[in-house]
Amino acid sequence: MAIAQAMCTAFKQELLLGTHNFATNGNAFKLALYAEGGGGKSSTTATLGAATTAYTTTGEVANSGSYTAGGGALTKVAPSTSGTTAFTDFADISFTTATITAMGALIYNDTNSDKAVAVLDFSSNKTSTSGTFTVQFPTADASNAIIRIA
Amino acid sequence: MFEVNVGTVGSVNIITSENGGLSNDQIADMAADKIMYISDEAPEPIRLQAEAFKDRVRNLVQYYVELARKEERATICAKVREAGQHELAKAIGRL
Repeated sequence: MAIAQAMCTAFKQELLLGTHNFATNGNAFKLALYAEGGGGKSSTTATLGAATTAYTTTGEVANSGSYTAGGGALTKVAPSTSGTTAFTDFADISFTTATITAMGALIYNDTNSDKAVAVLDFSSNKTSTSGTFTVQFPTADASNAIIRIA
Repeated sequence: MFEVNVGTVGSVNIITSENGGLSNDQIADMAADKIMYISDEAPEPIRLQAEAFKDRVRNLVQYYVELARKEERATICAKVREAGQHELAKAIGRL
């Protein structure tokens, strides 16, 4: 698969190096949307997965409505713990008046050289037509949060 | 030796619309999903009760989303009418 859901391996290493700060006043994170096949710019296909190290424009969806290259800024939910699990999350993000077909997304650290955090696989193409494209993040808890360390 | 199982990525929901914004139903579903998560592994009687409650929450949210949009349109209509744009106010009122 060209887009495979994963926590990026480089991100795991960078956690140990203290590269990423998810605190409310920490680093800025963004979410970019990607297509497989002809949905992206210049018909390029995104290849994203555990080996992804940084944001790339290859296969990113074209500018439309409020979506521009690089994607949208994420609003962080401060890291927390429950039991033996630590987790962090983000507020939902929407791109409006947009015609977008996307198969996945990349969360990356906009503050630190666009370093990759996680790849999201939507399983199938999701399309908005002159409408809203919303990515709803899961509940911020130990069982569901988008990024969990157990 | 300690072994830490690092790295679980949660699942996101994608909600899209055509020729306009999200519907009242879509927003209500999003809110209900955020308010309540029901585990597939929950015992059936508990899961059924939780699903019934979630459905009530969803319907309540849907009602107030619809009301909020209606009231917002009424405010916009009034402001547009005050600005002398009567036809535009009528068009907005018909939404």
